[in-house]
Amino acid sequence: MHPERHNKPTIGLVLSTVPRYSETFFRNKIIGLQNNGFDVVLFVDYIEEGDLNFPCSIVAAPDFGGNLLKLFLNSCSSIIKSLFLHPKKSFKLYLLDKRDGLSFKKRMRNLIVNQFLLAKTIDWLHFGFGMLSNNRENVAQAIGAKMAVSFRGFDLYLSPLKHENCYDKLFLKDVKYHLLSQEMKEDLIDNKISAYKIKVIPPAINIDFFQSKGNHTENKVVKIITIARLHWKKGIEYTLEAIHELKQNEINFHYTIIGDGSQLERLVFAAHQLGIQDCITFTGKMSQVEVKKQLEESDVYLQYSIQEGFCNAVLEAQAMGLMCIVSNAEGLSENVLNGKTGWVVPKRQPKLLAQKIIEVINLSSNERESIRETAISRVREEFNLQKQNKSFENFYEN
Amino acid sequence: MNNKLKIAIYSGVIPSSTFIERLIIGLASSNTCEIYLFGAIQNESNYDSNVKFAGYKNIKWHKTIHLIKYSAFLFFFRRKDKKKLDSILKSQKRNTLLDKVKFYPVLWHKPDIFHLQWAKGLKDWIWVQEFGIKVVLSLRGTQINLSPIANKSLADMYKANFPKVDAFHAVSKAIALEAEKYVAQKEKIKVVYSGLNLESIKHVVEKENSILKMLSIGRPHWIKGYTYALDACKILKDKGCKFEYTIIGAAGNIELAYQIKDLNLQSEIVLLHRKPFDTVQKLIEDSNLLVLPSLKEGIANVVLEAMLLHTLVLTTDCGGITEVIVDNHNGFVAPIRDSEKLAEKIMEITKMPSSDVIRITQNALKTVKAQHNEQQMITGMLKLYQNL
Repeated sequence: MHPERHNKPTIGLVLSTVPRYSETFFRNKIIGLQNNGFDVVLFVDYIEEGDLNFPCSIVAAPDFGGNLLKLFLNSCSSIIKSLFLHPKKSFKLYLLDKRDGLSFKKRMRNLIVNQFLLAKTIDWLHFGFGMLSNNRENVAQAIGAKMAVSFRGFDLYLSPLKHENCYDKLFLKDVKYHLLSQEMKEDLIDNKISAYKIKVIPPAINIDFFQSKGNHTENKVVKIITIARLHWKKGIEYTLEAIHELKQNEINFHYTIIGDGSQLERLVFAAHQLGIQDCITFTGKMSQVEVKKQLEESDVYLQYSIQEGFCNAVLEAQAMGLMCIVSNAEGLSENVLNGKTGWVVPKRQPKLLAQKIIEVINLSSNERESIRETAISRVREEFNLQKQNKSFENFYEN
Repeated sequence: MNNKLKIAIYSGVIPSSTFIERLIIGLASSNTCEIYLFGAIQNESNYDSNVKFAGYKNIKWHKTIHLIKYSAFLFFFRRKDKKKLDSILKSQKRNTLLDKVKFYPVLWHKPDIFHLQWAKGLKDWIWVQEFGIKVVLSLRGTQINLSPIANKSLADMYKANFPKVDAFHAVSKAIALEAEKYVAQKEKIKVVYSGLNLESIKHVVEKENSILKMLSIGRPHWIKGYTYALDACKILKDKGCKFEYTIIGAAGNIELAYQIKDLNLQSEIVLLHRKPFDTVQKLIEDSNLLVLPSLKEGIANVVLEAMLLHTLVLTTDCGGITEVIVDNHNGFVAPIRDSEKLAEKIMEITKMPSSDVIRITQNALKTVKAQHNEQQMITGMLKLYQNL
């Protein structure tokens, strides 16, 4: 029982899919909100088998893919629901879209595809990613809810390059924004968004799970590790060039990359061409338990990203007592405090990265211990789930 | 009686890429062979009478008619062959309707030589040898240089099937060496450089640029090394070098767009969509320097085009291209994956006196004329076919 539930707002969270088991951010957020007495309704584009076991109410959009007959029937059904189940909200959405200068065709399209969002009575409509708010900029106002949008690195920095001006309409609306880092906040302010509308809530990790054993012994062969999707934005090709420099400098090391993705061929080829295949293991994706084991056995963590909102994996590595070297991409220099909890190296400069790795390998055990202790205690204090949950509670209540 | 060699040039699609089309047209006009084209028709193309067309449009009803037509031909006139092919396909679990749409026309027309342009399809087509058709495989592009390195099962397929191939056509000596790693027999490989139609260049326009205009051409695949070129541009900008850099074919690529924004190079760099060939030629003519920052590549046709159009070329030592470009003689060569060296080279080029520019472009022109004319390509290919 949640005695305070009746006083708490109901949050409608819009995502593409029900968060998978490994998508801890949204799972933790939803569970955290529920534990604090909030009702959460999850709006998704589609549901898969097993999703209905997810511990909150789920509303899925009709399937507008597939054949023309299905598209026609689902469109008709949406129009009928709009007209008879929530005519006021539908009409308001239509008028607001009209005020924004949308053509009749686009207004009708928005009514049909967003009908499922009109069905519930909620206090907040929170889009989990910026791009999910596209063509839905007026839905919150139409249903009488407040609107919130979360931006992660990809949707704030990369989506606009693919979909030019995709946030122009959104940025004119009354929206509360959730961002991962101060750097992202500055960049959003550059888009003429008032600072008071922006709340920075960095990611959090399960500090009880990612916990250093304390007795950290150094390996004879320095074990370097990165956990990342194999995407160009993670800067792994630059990292491999730095690894090549390490080999040239006859450092005794092994580098493990955990994760999979579309750039595997590029990276395997880079390793081949740089002559470092024997120093590298691409493990593919691993479970959280296996990841923890790998972190336990490693000395240095690298996250030399080109673009990064904040990065949970770096928090986990710090919590596990690894020496973390990261790039200065967006949120990373807030994730790791240069010289205090790890090191920040300018991005796209593999020679500088290699120098820093060598420097860190050559640190005395006292110096390493000092960095380790500071990093562990900072992560435990600043990036725990309890603190994150409290921040989200404030986000919706204040 | 018609004694012309029947050669199928197969890339999977009709028309193929520029360099394969050039080969088709050249061979057909030599009047010593008949060319057969199989595969999916993407655009209607006009060929001369020596080119026989047995393609299908990529729409259901067209493929159905295509299949019915060739099934009937084979059933009524070459039933034994059909039965044999069906049983081969069945044993390889490749007897879907689409497979038959692709394979039956080849069996019906039964060319003397089946010249496969891309190595990845080799396993699918090696059956033609069962019917006395010789298999020639072109060794070109990432399918040899790159894919088998990251894909072990592809490397194993090459190792299993390369020894069966009757002859290989290598687009460069470097790619021939690469293929030998997958058990391609050295004596079966013939290097035939691609050739340009030298007469197509009528007049070369004088370049009148106040600042250095650089150009790259090609799809935005990472193997093209554009990220290194952009990092080099950042170094140039920091050193005060004034330049413009255009990449044709890279528009819409987020990685490059982000890098340009990240490095604050929006005023210097333009990403364009693919352009028609004559527009590309004009842009090459208008540029001072064609840059090929690739990580691995055979002999890029754009380099040959640039040499023909009196445009300086700066390439990385990414493979076969160093069989064409000799540093400081007919172009410039920088190491792969090295933005600093690439930027250094560009700085050197900007400081070069015009007499050196003329010397290098003249040497480049001589190289293309001697080594990459269309006639030499056609003669080389015909010789390869006739020796089988």
